[in-house]
Amino acid sequence: MVSVSAALTSSYDYGEVARSVLTAIAASYAGLDLAGRVTVARGRVRLAWLGGGAIAMGIGIWAMHFQGMLALYLPVSVEYHWPTVLVSLLVAVLASAVGLYVASSRKMGWVEALIGSAVMSAGIAGMHYIGMAAMRLPAIAQYSPLLVMCSILLAIFFSVVALLLAFDLREETRWTVPRRLGSATVMGLAVSAMHYTGMAAVRFMPSSAPDLSQAVSISPLGRNAIVIVTLIVLLAAVVTSSVDRRTGADIELLNQDLERRVAERTRQLIAINEELRKEIADRQRAEDALQEAQAGLARVTRVLSMGELVTSIAHEVNQPLTAIVTNGNFALRQLDAGTPNLKQLREAIAEIVEDAARASSVISRIRALLKKGTPDRVELDVNEVIKETADLVRKEATRNRVTVQLELAADLPSIVGDRVQLQQVLLNLMMNGIDAMRALTDQPHELVIKSTRSADGVEIQVQDSGMGLDPKQTERIFEPFFTTKHTGIGLGLSISRSIIESHGGRLRTVPSSRGAVFEFILPTDGAGAS
Amino acid sequence: MSEPESIVFVVDDDPSVGRAIKRLIGSVGLHVELFGSAQEFLPSKVTNVPSCLILDIRLPGISGLDFQRQLAESNVEIPIVFITAHGDIPMTVRAMKAGAVEFLTKPFRDQDLLDAVHLALERDRRRRQQEAELAVLRERFESLSPREREVVAMVVSGMLNKQIAAQIGTAENTVKVHRSRAMEKMQANSLADLVKMIERLQVPSAHAS
Repeated sequence: MVSVSAALTSSYDYGEVARSVLTAIAASYAGLDLAGRVTVARGRVRLAWLGGGAIAMGIGIWAMHFQGMLALYLPVSVEYHWPTVLVSLLVAVLASAVGLYVASSRKMGWVEALIGSAVMSAGIAGMHYIGMAAMRLPAIAQYSPLLVMCSILLAIFFSVVALLLAFDLREETRWTVPRRLGSATVMGLAVSAMHYTGMAAVRFMPSSAPDLSQAVSISPLGRNAIVIVTLIVLLAAVVTSSVDRRTGADIELLNQDLERRVAERTRQLIAINEELRKEIADRQRAEDALQEAQAGLARVTRVLSMGELVTSIAHEVNQPLTAIVTNGNFALRQLDAGTPNLKQLREAIAEIVEDAARASSVISRIRALLKKGTPDRVELDVNEVIKETADLVRKEATRNRVTVQLELAADLPSIVGDRVQLQQVLLNLMMNGIDAMRALTDQPHELVIKSTRSADGVEIQVQDSGMGLDPKQTERIFEPFFTTKHTGIGLGLSISRSIIESHGGRLRTVPSSRGAVFEFILPTDGAGAS
Repeated sequence: MSEPESIVFVVDDDPSVGRAIKRLIGSVGLHVELFGSAQEFLPSKVTNVPSCLILDIRLPGISGLDFQRQLAESNVEIPIVFITAHGDIPMTVRAMKAGAVEFLTKPFRDQDLLDAVHLALERDRRRRQQEAELAVLRERFESLSPREREVVAMVVSGMLNKQIAAQIGTAENTVKVHRSRAMEKMQANSLADLVKMIERLQVPSAHAS
């Protein structure tokens, strides 16, 4: 311990001290305020806030410190080495920057808090003692290690408190301003306590005149200037921050409103969408049901037209069966006779096999037409479908003295469709043709089925040589339950039309000088979607 | 080729059925001729040997039943065995009334068809025989003089010689001569015999009244 009597007596200007404490509180307030802004901002704006904030805060802290030094009266003239002063200001700015950075980070754990406060306190203590070192006076400063330590501990404590408070206060909540003011007061007092502890740690022992190069003395005007400039800077910082916050808040408010409205609209849209989806599902169900009903109806009419054909079909099955039975009996007789004519026996058996195949093919043709099944779209040779159907009605035609004539173009493209449904349409048209000619006795009875290539597909015509259609009824005949026959339910043509339409084609009548002509086109692109 | 003993004609539009029938009937030693339609079967083909026709009802062009009527109208007498895939009762009745031998439903039993064919041929044979006999009788009847025919007609109607003589204004003995010469020409052994012959010839008998 140095002798107290030898040291220069110092005293404080308490007004100046009070002003320095207020400056500290103001700087703290600005720091807390700015931490919030830095947190909210992103990218370059954040960097600008961080830089500007650090400068404002650094100036504030430095000014407080400088004021605190100026508040000390020594019996000698004190000048300041200004480059050192500048360095101390720079350190204050850096320490502030670190503080703001840490306080504005997304989250703050103990590690971040400790590192941040270590750097900050080092900065503040550094600023303080660098500032002290800038003093130029005819005395030597002696430091009390205990108090220096105390001041450093206080700096650390201050830093931790500052970071925690700043972190806590950065979000906008109710009572933000009063809370921030309270926090700023605590922080300002802590800063002041650290500073004045640091000041208390020094004793100035008189010595020779100092090196006064680059040293300036601070006039009372200068002191006031420092205070005023500092306050202006801090005020500017707080005002800017407040405007920014207000704008941010307005934007936030607008955003919230917008988001609310968007959410509202989205909810409405989702509800509407849900409703639409339900409606579509309902419609789909209805369509499925309709289609099923139509398929059922189509099958019923198919069965009905097959019913009209049943005599012919029975005949067609019976013929090969008769041949089989007769040939079989012949074969048995030959074998029983003991000396069979092997050549004849062989012929008979070969014909049995042939006729059995014939009978079975008739049955499978009929079964295909009667089976209940969902429409099956496959690639089809239209001519083949016509031939198969003509085979089915040929007997019936013969019975009614009708000749069936096929005029099929050779170069037809294949189409995509349902074989059974198309056979049904052809069957219906052919049977109608046969029926139309049944009553007529004098004319030749001819049923002509033509296939030709058309621009967009395959055109099929069924023509009879009957009385032809009543021109007044050419559209009515396609109506359900419209019939000109005594036995008929009047569904054949209406169902035929719907089948052709489901294949993307159109069934219509064609005016003709002789008999009735029905025509439909099946598109090659298989436009039928259902 | 020598003339067969009998001919079975088959008209069926299904060649397979036709061939099978031909084979079956051929196996019992009968001659078969096959036709695809009624038009192809010309009545002129019916020769003077016993024959029959197996006829399908459902045929292209003219139906079997209509063809039966046509044959009858043009006096072609041939026994017909109908075969059909599905005959109904009115159809059967019509066919049988018009003289069909049998009406068989396809597929038929082979024995039924053969029995029907044999029956039909037998019937035709008998008819032909009767017709031949009738032709002989007719020839004999043609050889009678007008007066002899007159006397025969009166004899078979039961008139006595005396009554006949009074009727035609001649002597009873003259009637006796006419009568015995007619009996001789007709090769009748008795009066009863002569009556039967004249009945078969369907000569209108001359009653006194």
